[in-house]
Amino acid sequence: MSRVTWRRRGPTVPPGTRRPDRDRAPVVRCEQVSVRFGARTVLDAVCCAVDPGQRVAVMGPSGSGKTTLLHVLAGLQPATGGAVRWPTLGSPAGWAPGTVMVSFQAPSLVASLDAAENVALPLVLAGVPDREARQRALAELAGLDLAGLAAQLPEELSGGQAQRVSLARALAARPVLLLADEPTGQLDGTTGMALVRMLVERAHAAGSALVVATHDPQVQDLLDTRWSISDGRLDAAARR
Amino acid sequence: MIGIWLAGLVRRRPGRLLAVTAGTAVTVAALASLAVFLTSAKQAMTAQATRRVAVDWQVAVPDPAATDRALRAVRADAGTAAAEPVGLATVPGLAASTRDAGGSVVSQQTASARVLGITAGYAGTFPGELRVLAGTVSLSGPGGPAALLAQQTASNLAARVGDVVRVRRPGLPVLAVTVAGVVDLPQADSLFQRVGAPAGSQPAAPPDNVMLLDLAEWHRAFDPMLAAHPEAVTAQVHVRRDHALPADPAAAFVAATGQARHLEAELAGTVTVGDNLAAALDAARGDALYAEVLFVFLGLPGAVLAAALTVTVAAAGAARRRRERSLLRLRGASPGQVLAVAAAEALLVGVAGAVLGLAGAALVGRAAFGAAAFGATPGAAAGWMAAAAAAGLGLAAAALLGPARRDLRHATVLAGWQQVATAARRTRGPLWARLGLDLAALLGAYAVYRVTSRAGYHLVVVPEGVPTISVSYWAFAGPALLWLGAAGLTWRLVDLLLHRGRRVVAVAVRPVAGRLAGLAAAGARRQRRMLARASVLGCLAIAFAASTAVFNSTYLAQAEVDARLTNGADVTVTEPPSAHAGPADAGRIAAVAGVRGVEPLQHRFAYVGSDLQDLYGVRPATILGAGTLQDAYFDGGTARQLIGRLANAADAILVSAETAHDYQLQPGDALTLRLRDAGTGHTIPVTFHYAGVVKEFPTAPRDSFFVANAGYVATATGDDSVGAYLVSTAGDPHPVAERIRALLGPGPRVTDLTTSRTAVGSSLTAVDLAGLTRVELGLGLLLAVAAGGLVLGLGLDERRRDLTVVAALGARASQVRALVGVDAALVTAATLLAGGMLGAVLSQVLVAVLTGVFDPPPESLATPWPYLAGVALATASGVLGGAAVVSRRAQRQVTANLRQA
Repeated sequence: MSRVTWRRRGPTVPPGTRRPDRDRAPVVRCEQVSVRFGARTVLDAVCCAVDPGQRVAVMGPSGSGKTTLLHVLAGLQPATGGAVRWPTLGSPAGWAPGTVMVSFQAPSLVASLDAAENVALPLVLAGVPDREARQRALAELAGLDLAGLAAQLPEELSGGQAQRVSLARALAARPVLLLADEPTGQLDGTTGMALVRMLVERAHAAGSALVVATHDPQVQDLLDTRWSISDGRLDAAARR
Repeated sequence: MIGIWLAGLVRRRPGRLLAVTAGTAVTVAALASLAVFLTSAKQAMTAQATRRVAVDWQVAVPDPAATDRALRAVRADAGTAAAEPVGLATVPGLAASTRDAGGSVVSQQTASARVLGITAGYAGTFPGELRVLAGTVSLSGPGGPAALLAQQTASNLAARVGDVVRVRRPGLPVLAVTVAGVVDLPQADSLFQRVGAPAGSQPAAPPDNVMLLDLAEWHRAFDPMLAAHPEAVTAQVHVRRDHALPADPAAAFVAATGQARHLEAELAGTVTVGDNLAAALDAARGDALYAEVLFVFLGLPGAVLAAALTVTVAAAGAARRRRERSLLRLRGASPGQVLAVAAAEALLVGVAGAVLGLAGAALVGRAAFGAAAFGATPGAAAGWMAAAAAAGLGLAAAALLGPARRDLRHATVLAGWQQVATAARRTRGPLWARLGLDLAALLGAYAVYRVTSRAGYHLVVVPEGVPTISVSYWAFAGPALLWLGAAGLTWRLVDLLLHRGRRVVAVAVRPVAGRLAGLAAAGARRQRRMLARASVLGCLAIAFAASTAVFNSTYLAQAEVDARLTNGADVTVTEPPSAHAGPADAGRIAAVAGVRGVEPLQHRFAYVGSDLQDLYGVRPATILGAGTLQDAYFDGGTARQLIGRLANAADAILVSAETAHDYQLQPGDALTLRLRDAGTGHTIPVTFHYAGVVKEFPTAPRDSFFVANAGYVATATGDDSVGAYLVSTAGDPHPVAERIRALLGPGPRVTDLTTSRTAVGSSLTAVDLAGLTRVELGLGLLLAVAAGGLVLGLGLDERRRDLTVVAALGARASQVRALVGVDAALVTAATLLAGGMLGAVLSQVLVAVLTGVFDPPPESLATPWPYLAGVALATASGVLGGAAVVSRRAQRQVTANLRQA
């Protein structure tokens, strides 16, 4: 079992802003959560919790279970053992669209919608009128310097552009919990770091808790909590 | 490598393999089932053709002294079942002196007459040649020579059973014979043919005056004429064959002809064989051609549609296959190896599809046609099976191997891997759409239809009773162009609506998608090519099902009409010529349980010029209430209007179109007929006035007849006797007919509609559509469900990852269903609307082009609404079912779907 190695650094948000409120109930808590696919154990007795407004980096090599952990936290992957709870949100079945948003590692834009429509999608699902949803989507794209791609279809975007549009979609919904899986995977170093900085700022501004799965040490430095995961095990000391 | 690849496909992509295999199997089954239909139809034609012939061979023996030798040779021939000698003599005339109703002696004479000599066993050996109307067929017994008179001869002589008829013989004393019976000669045309003469020199009509004598008596009477008048006395041997012939009409014709020629050769040209059997089989060859016509019009579109569906189903997985092939190339596979892998998949699918298809066709054939033979002979069966299997293999190759080959030639590996596609953005339509080929095809279909619908396919029945078929192959082009043009136009309209009509679509789908209508319409716009494809296939499937069902229903309805025309009513009681039943006797029949109404119908023979035609006297006030007349039976007005003319003017008469033309009749023209007067027994002139044309009439055996006012005829001739009673029943006519038969005894002939339906159903064309109907309607339903549900479902399944993303973004189950439901609703609406319209047009075209099939032609199409409703419901269910499955899969396997590349 690997040792806990986490460092706490200062937040990358402006001074005077709120720190994670650990006196409030966590957004999501895992208690001895395991996930098995057949004979293969992907997550093994994971215990962790994400507080409101907390910014967490999940570090680990490829195949360590980062993506599965994010899917469990998002309610997309049911746990084979243990329990996952969202004390302030209730059961995933009752969530309004946009409550918990995921930016997936693999391409996840809807092929038949252009970039603006993709970004507007969770807003429309949540009941926001079409016109307002489109305006917010365009604003979100502009915030990521993607305004010129609004009318492009996913197949016409590069991998990096598609990844950024996916993040814009997640941010547009102003979720309570935002999970980003390898957001810089298809970006160069400079662009990736700028993206993560913007991501942290926007998440903070929206009051969203942020969990980023990454294997990039520079990315983890931008987040105030780091979890280490290896072979499906999250070190107990890394919860807080 | 190929084995590993195929094993992987079977394990990981069974659905994809199964879908293409199923489509291939349906196509092969459709083609093979049609082979079974053709085989069974041809077998039925051959059997019916041989059954309808009363005398298979009429062996003319120019020298009557050589008759015995010819008879021995014929009986010794391997295929002869029975043979009887027949004598034929031509005499100057017949005469009879009979007593009329008043007791006065009336003398009648005829012109030239034919006298046949038959053996005692002739009627039993050839039952189709004689039908006894009165008296007995037996010519032996004590007393003087007995004779049978043909019906018209008896009428000409006013002779009845027991009367004496005198036969004038040139150079010999008059022969007096006693009438033993009156007979009908149903096949008089062939009986009195000039054996061996070319078709153009045959008599236009059988002789008017015919008498039959016992052969021994015939010899006594006419052998003395041989020396002085050898041309007036001839002999024949009538033969019944064992009908051990091939099932195929063409092969049977060749075999029968060969047997006849063999006999002629064996007897060294001393005889000539009048081969009625071969003539009937020759006509059946034409009917077989007609069956092939039906196969092309009704059956082939279904098989082509199944093939198109299979290719579309295969194309649904094209992107994935392309990506897999690119992956193989990236891993070092050569183009040849990639092709080999694709060919292996195509071979697997083709072989499995062919085997399943042939097995399915055998089952369908047994269920629908009662037989599973793919051909009339083993060779033909093997050929059809090989052809169907080859079609299946070709289809699999086109669906799977063709795209692989095309990609290897025209696409880069990287393009396939990245699936760089501009399908969604593509605004330029396909070449055929830019060239307007669909519109050109529709215009061409209209032009061909206008030109050929009048001349399409006609069954021409010449008076001698040999049916032939006139084929216009150009008429095939009309429906074919209509199919192509309608498919293209449907694609064009769906593409146009989804591309340019986004706002309209958003409004239209709001009831399904709610707040997601705008996004759903945007998505549909980008998926319009897939939706258009599904809509086109669904439209064609609906149209195929609808047009086939309407044609079949109309065919059955007209067969019912034909049966009613033949039988006259639910039950028809036909009085023998010697009976004098009057209108008052209808009361006895009306009292029988199950009888709803009885309508008396007069039947007379009337001479117009030298022609003898049937005259039917009707009661204008009540005949329409009997429900036996249709507007289509009359020309220039409805049944009510033309019968009304008979009521308004007692001497009005309706005639056939041929009579009106021959005599250049104008409305109101006087027409004098000679009818037999009941008092004198002589024919007397009775004047009528032409009032209109009647084309068909219940019980009328020929196309030329008269319809007049029964009261006027009765007054003019002093005879109100009834020829037939038209009986309408409540419920099944057959038991009512049995009760009437029991009441009236053996004199009158009682026939019911049920029996006539059976006879008519295997009538002129001898093509029983029932089996083909079952196959086609079942195939139509299957294709409609598959086209709608499968194609859309597969298209949506390719977007399963997108739907999973939507679900992962927090969409509720109802919202995911709504997005899928929009596509389903668009496809369903386009399918039903376009398919219904095309089906309606196709039905009209098919019935118009194939109008020669119907006898009489239909007034309107018979629409089987329950079946059409079932097809619409099944199609909508298929579409919605496919969409529901995709929606469910998208929501259930979220993470697995997300991991999909």
